[in-house]
Amino acid sequence: MSRMRMTFLAVILAWIAWDSFYVVDEGTLAIVTRFGEYQVSRLAPGPYPKAPMADTVVRMQRRILVSDTPPAEYLTLDKKKLVADPITRWRITNPITYYKTVRDESGARARIDDIVNSELRGEIASHDFGAIVGNRRQPLMDSVAERARAKVAEFGIALVDVQIKRADLPTEVQESVFLRMRAERDRIAKRYRSEGEEEAQKIRAQTDKEKAILLAKAYEKAQVMIGEGDAQSTAVYAGAYGKDADFYALVRSLEAYEAALGAKTHVVLSTGSELLRYLDTPR
Amino acid sequence: MSKYNGGRPRDPQDFARDILDDLGRRSQRLGPILAGVVLLLLASTGFYQVGPGEVAVIRTLGRETGRAGPGLHFRVPFVQRKDIISTAQIRRLEVGFRGDQPMHDEAQMLTGDANIVEAQMIVQYRVADPSKYLFRLANPDDTMLATAEVAVRAVIGRTSIDEAITTGRGRIQEETRQLLQQLMDVYQSGLSVTEVKLQSVGPPTEVKDSFHEVVRAREEKEQLINQAMGYSEDVIPRARGEAEKQLREAEAYKEQRLLRAQGDAKKFNQVYDEYVKARDVTRKRLYLETMERLLARIEDKTVVDARLPGSTLPVLQIGPKAVAAGATGVSP
Repeated sequence: MSRMRMTFLAVILAWIAWDSFYVVDEGTLAIVTRFGEYQVSRLAPGPYPKAPMADTVVRMQRRILVSDTPPAEYLTLDKKKLVADPITRWRITNPITYYKTVRDESGARARIDDIVNSELRGEIASHDFGAIVGNRRQPLMDSVAERARAKVAEFGIALVDVQIKRADLPTEVQESVFLRMRAERDRIAKRYRSEGEEEAQKIRAQTDKEKAILLAKAYEKAQVMIGEGDAQSTAVYAGAYGKDADFYALVRSLEAYEAALGAKTHVVLSTGSELLRYLDTPR
Repeated sequence: MSKYNGGRPRDPQDFARDILDDLGRRSQRLGPILAGVVLLLLASTGFYQVGPGEVAVIRTLGRETGRAGPGLHFRVPFVQRKDIISTAQIRRLEVGFRGDQPMHDEAQMLTGDANIVEAQMIVQYRVADPSKYLFRLANPDDTMLATAEVAVRAVIGRTSIDEAITTGRGRIQEETRQLLQQLMDVYQSGLSVTEVKLQSVGPPTEVKDSFHEVVRAREEKEQLINQAMGYSEDVIPRARGEAEKQLREAEAYKEQRLLRAQGDAKKFNQVYDEYVKARDVTRKRLYLETMERLLARIEDKTVVDARLPGSTLPVLQIGPKAVAAGATGVSP
């Protein structure tokens, strides 16, 4: 059956042809080893030739990868405990070094986690709690990244950055923070209440003052007015009655008698009086 | 690792071998026909469709060689590959909650003044650069979630609790968006953050009551002030009314006194004018007329003869009301 042999041969040839080239995809890197011995690194995508069967292609990621270190407790310079959850981005730049030193991604992650953890521990230990939580977090993380970057370079890895995903307080400290927050809020609530009292008192006092002043001013004006009335009327009386004081005395006295002596008055009159002088004798 | 290129299927080889075997065993005429049919079938798998708002990224033998927009396209099977990515679709992720389920661990974060707040945030983003999205960053969507957490925690971390839960929302949103976009650009994600929206920033459940207490206290403060203002608005107009009343009364008094004085003066003047004409007669007349009116009114009168020596007085019973007025005469 030469046809069968031919077919078999064709299949073998096709397979060899098939195995004599390989494709490096976008987003990946490759290294080629020949019977375990390193040949070449392929950093750009595309098709490449290889020795069939002898060469082995090892592919790895060219994309940026992540290493999410589990949260751990750190001690700050002011001896406060902090739970931080660092997250590191990195990528493979030297595939053969990478392959030799860490072999694969889980190996790389283990090394990166160790390095980042120890750098972060050192960095946190040299800063106060407030700096790590607050404003200076980014420079701090940059400096962690800077130092870790130098160390991971020997694994053929370029470190992109290190960030703290969470920076929290340990559970036992959290409770005391809540206590403090409650105390602080109570303080603010008290302040609001007493401020309310203060304002209210001020307004009431101001009101009472205005009322008193208002009434006093009115009293002053009223008294002035009354005085003017009295003065002017006195002047009028004086102007009129001053013409003849004697006659005024007579008229006013008569008026006074009339007003003062009522029906029940007991009067004893003498016939010697001006009124009754004719009662006795018509002289 | 596979010696063969990625996921390139090996089945066609087996398939082809089977066919060749078949051809060998059976008929020679069937061969070319079958081969043609197989080729056609393979070619037909090369057609693909790109929907609206989508982009197809084409790789030829691993290398990116082009893109295709919406429509029907052809690629060479086995040689070319395509990834279809929607660049219009807005993707959404939630930080601090999932659906209606709050996630306290993810939501709680430290503020700059070492307090704890709970923040819930929505991030909306889309693919801006499909090539980067596909080939530069592993798991871009997971990265977006983790980085959103990093960004919001960094921004809240430099904000005080009072600002965070009251006026700071807009600023926190904007700064978080900027930081998130900046980091995602560093990671070459090809993603563009379209919106960062803080759903809520509030105190953690453990201390919520105390925060509500503050709100209540603030209300009470307002209430106290309003009551005092109410007092003021009640008292001042009344006092103004009272003052006005006093003034008007005083004016009335003044006017009244003056008018009465003038009235009295006029009366006196008129009488005086007559009096001047006949002084003695008028004096007498006034006196007598007054006495007449006066004595007519008085019921209890006693007349004593003037020539009797002063012996009558002791007999008279002088009561407390008795007055010996005019007894010896008022001489006009």
